[in-house]
Amino acid sequence: MSDAKSSAPQPLYSLAGVGRSYSKGGITVEAVRSIDLDIAAGEMVSLEGPSGSGKSTLLQLIGALDAPTRGSIRFNGRELAHESQKELTRLRSEEIGFVFQHFNLIPTLTAQENVAIAMVPSGASRSARSERAEGLLQQVGLGHRLHHLPTRLSGGEQQRVAIARALANSPRVVIADEPTGNLDSETAAEVISVLAGLRDTAGVTLILATHDDEIGRIAEHRVRLRDGSIV
Amino acid sequence: MTLSYVWNELHRRAGRTIVTALGLAAGVGLVMAIIGVSDGLSQAQNRILSPLGTVGTDLIVTRTVAPTTSTATTVPSQGGFGGQGGAAAGQGGTGGGFFAGGPGGGSGLAQLNGADTSALLNANSSVLTDLSKLGPAGTNFVHDFFVPGTLITFPDQAVSVVSTIPGVSSAVGALSLQALHESGTVPTIVASIKTGGQTISASTTPPPLTSAQQAAIFSCLQKSGLLSGGGAFGGGGSTGPGAGGGGGARVAIRPTDPAFIKCLPAAQQAFITKVVVPAETIRQVLNPPSTNTTTSSYTVAGVDPTHPNSGVITKAQLVSGHWFDTTPAHEVLVNNAYANTKKLSVGTTLTINGVSYTIVGLVAPTLTGNVSDIYFDLATLQSLSTNSARVNEVLVAVHNSSQVNAVAATIHKELPGAQVLTSRDLADQVTGSLSNAHRLATDLGGALAIVVLLAAFVIAGLLTLSNVAKRVREIGSLRAMGWSRGLVVRQLMTETLAIGVLGGVLGIGLGALISVVIGAVGPGLSVTSSGLAVGASTVSPLLNQSVTGTITTVVHLTAPISAKAVGLGFAGALVGGLLAGVLGGWRAARLSPASALRDLG
Repeated sequence: MSDAKSSAPQPLYSLAGVGRSYSKGGITVEAVRSIDLDIAAGEMVSLEGPSGSGKSTLLQLIGALDAPTRGSIRFNGRELAHESQKELTRLRSEEIGFVFQHFNLIPTLTAQENVAIAMVPSGASRSARSERAEGLLQQVGLGHRLHHLPTRLSGGEQQRVAIARALANSPRVVIADEPTGNLDSETAAEVISVLAGLRDTAGVTLILATHDDEIGRIAEHRVRLRDGSIV
Repeated sequence: MTLSYVWNELHRRAGRTIVTALGLAAGVGLVMAIIGVSDGLSQAQNRILSPLGTVGTDLIVTRTVAPTTSTATTVPSQGGFGGQGGAAAGQGGTGGGFFAGGPGGGSGLAQLNGADTSALLNANSSVLTDLSKLGPAGTNFVHDFFVPGTLITFPDQAVSVVSTIPGVSSAVGALSLQALHESGTVPTIVASIKTGGQTISASTTPPPLTSAQQAAIFSCLQKSGLLSGGGAFGGGGSTGPGAGGGGGARVAIRPTDPAFIKCLPAAQQAFITKVVVPAETIRQVLNPPSTNTTTSSYTVAGVDPTHPNSGVITKAQLVSGHWFDTTPAHEVLVNNAYANTKKLSVGTTLTINGVSYTIVGLVAPTLTGNVSDIYFDLATLQSLSTNSARVNEVLVAVHNSSQVNAVAATIHKELPGAQVLTSRDLADQVTGSLSNAHRLATDLGGALAIVVLLAAFVIAGLLTLSNVAKRVREIGSLRAMGWSRGLVVRQLMTETLAIGVLGGVLGIGLGALISVVIGAVGPGLSVTSSGLAVGASTVSPLLNQSVTGTITTVVHLTAPISAKAVGLGFAGALVGGLLAGVLGGWRAARLSPASALRDLG
């Protein structure tokens, strides 16, 4: 651990030469090519670029939802390619929270249940899950919407439920893919302020893919992608 | 996996849940119904196929009509049960048995041999009795006739003969008869024609007397003193010697005087004699009789009340009331089914040929063997049917079932011509729609049940797959949140298992409903046994109909719900739910979280 004594702190994420290609009908598509990127803990990173530039693919690689076809991704010093599926699942459960463009709430569960469901893999008791879900929803300003089904919530409210869900297991990283992509500018601003608050109050590392300049503006680290490469 | 998640999935997607559950329920319900029908048929058939075992009887000895002349000729002609009306049991009798018949018969009973025909006609003659014996034509009558049908009676000494055969543990005699209850007006079936009694007179001119005749008459008259002198015919002086002109005394002769008639020649005498035709009444049976008589039939049996544990019915078959008392002359037991039809109950009094009989118990006899409607004390029925000391069945129990065949052979030897039926024989003789339906239910029904259940599984599986396809994003999100594959699969399987439970419960309800409906409107299935024949049909030969010699019982189709059917149905639903869960889980497990999200991104 001689590196620990070096001047720069170890980054939370360290991506080196990461590429991801897909083969479909004999044609190989390079969604992401040779990305080198370090992300420090507590940092807010915005991945920007036009559609198809590889933002979502890169987020899935960072979120351990997908594995790169080339290069290495180190999270907290551990090479993700060497981890088992079980370990990656645990990682997603405990260390990473996801926020999606389409919210991806479970339509049959209430706001509170949607948040609580994320805590099931942690083995928390039902009452503990409920209690924490309620606290988180209050935190995102939805204390009065606990028992509403997603269909009865506005887009902004749904995305705030999704953010509360992403925070359920107190992750170190929240990965958000176009979190404001489906929202009007006013509700988008609400969501952005909630996300910014997370970084400030909880010290969560935020990695966002976005078209939204507002997000880019408050991010410490803006990464621009085109055709799968950083420009 | 959380149960609240399962519950929310199921009740907030109620439509899908119910459709899937109903698919499984339909399968379960049909499987239960098929099992139920099969069970119902099995039970009905078991009641019929093992009737003797349940009453402690292994063999039934009867004397039925030999169906063809060829069998009749193989029967020894000596001995036998003894003939109808024979004083003794016929031991040592020469051809006295029913079994002596050679080929013959003909007429309307062409299928029977001559001896059988006469025995049958004799035994059943009471139905052919002159109804005018019941009263003058025009009077109303109610009368019950008892005929043995084709189960011809024989002296009850056969019972003791059988009981002494080695291996026999008990032998009980019974008398099973067909009763014809007739009521109506005594028909004019006899024409009374009075004839005779008239006086017939004839007149004719006798031939003239010859000289010799005249001389003879003259001499006769003289001898009898009717003519002492002179010519009776007068004026004859010229021909007779010494005749004196009509002298002498004049004697008046009356033509009716017997002495005079006696002197006449035979030809003249005959024409004078009065002829009196003897008075007589000629009785002529008119054919066909015209009558308003209504006939209903039922069956009766005489049972030995001292053998409550074996016989055509047993004490164990009582469903209400009690067994015959020590003085059973005015007591009867009634078949429960017949009692239901006729609305009879324990305590009801039946009047038969002017004598009252009290129903002391209701019995549920086995379907074959010999089911009767009313059971009398044997002696009572023997006297009622004028079959004193005669029976037509001997129910035999053997010590050991392996001895059945040996005992049957000995009975054949001891009582030549006896028909000995074992329980197996009876079972083999059962035919009709019941056995066909049972075969159908077990063969086709089993296959149908499997097909139906498989169809239900396929429906449940497809619905679950479509459900998984609709929940790709949800499953991807769960995986992104750190739900393992196993957790997702368990969640889906718990959902489908819960649907399986619901389908099972609904299916059991559906099966119960189908069972009730089948019980209420199910068709009657006939069972035909040629074992013992005392049915209405057995009188048919007397009416120039063909001999059927069978008993047909109609069994009502039921579909009882057994624990087995419920268990199998429920297990089927659970298996269906599990299979659907496995299929859906397999599909979900193959989804990589990234592709699940990307596909919808």
